[in-house]
Amino acid sequence: MPEWDDREIVVGFNTRGKEEEAFNQLVAKYQERLYWHIRKIVISHDDADDVLQNTMIKVWRSLGSFRAESGLYTWLYRIATNEALSFLKQKKKKAFAPWVDMEEQMFEKLEADPWFSGDEIQLKLQEAILKLPEKQRIVFNMKYFDHVKYEDMSKILGTSVGALKASYHHAVKKIEAMLEKD
Amino acid sequence: MKMDRKKPDLQQEALKKSPFGVPEGYFESFSDRLLERIKEEESSTVPVRKIGTPTRWMSLAAAVLAAALLTTSIIRLSSSKDSEGIYSDLAILEQMQVLEDDRYLYELLEEEGSVELNEDEAFASQAIEYLAINDVEMDLIFE
Repeated sequence: MPEWDDREIVVGFNTRGKEEEAFNQLVAKYQERLYWHIRKIVISHDDADDVLQNTMIKVWRSLGSFRAESGLYTWLYRIATNEALSFLKQKKKKAFAPWVDMEEQMFEKLEADPWFSGDEIQLKLQEAILKLPEKQRIVFNMKYFDHVKYEDMSKILGTSVGALKASYHHAVKKIEAMLEKD
Repeated sequence: MKMDRKKPDLQQEALKKSPFGVPEGYFESFSDRLLERIKEEESSTVPVRKIGTPTRWMSLAAAVLAAALLTTSIIRLSSSKDSEGIYSDLAILEQMQVLEDDRYLYELLEEEGSVELNEDEAFASQAIEYLAINDVEMDLIFE
């Protein structure tokens, strides 16, 4: 089956009888990229799976009213980012006492995660990333691992390119300092 | 996996690779699981009756009803403290009676099928009946 481009997906979703086919195309095209983006934010596979499903359900419900001018790719990333952040917020509210460090708990979980295949240094890197403020963490992951352009990141996160560059720079400095320390 | 004892450097290409993995076949089965969940959620959603765009007649009836509620509230506030409880009890009883009458009327209409009121007319009729029971000056409203 040939891959549809973004415009075909949006038009297909708004065509009676073609909604499901268009949505399947969207899922096939973006599921992996969105999954890895979410996974780096929530860390565990099970949580990433939940968030990806919630993201896609939101997309299914609102794709009909999607305004093409914002670009499907950035729109999807924005939904996925919001879903992942609100998932963490809810999780923090439900499962953790205010004095418990959630990032510390996430790191402990990562060490025991059967779906983490990194070596010692990669584990240290993840530990350092988890210690960053939330937004810096997202910016660092998007730039360092996914090579997302600052212009696209700006649309996804609603932040200026300058602020994103500064955020990435600070993140790199902090991580380097943390890795040096160990 | 082999331990890398070198000093960590963010420029190392090996570090830039994602260290996360997924269960086998995860992406291949994701779409089916997702569509199943969407169908489940859609079938368990209670359908909401679509009311549609309000017509001029419905808007007028709504305005009349709002005016009536405002008028009765003012009357109640200006009445004496002693009679307040009795008055509100009576009002509740009257409103219950209206609902009861409406139900009776609609049952009757359904049985006989002789008079057909559309949604707008039924709503307006209810509003007018409510005003009549509450002694609201209709002439003033329709002026």
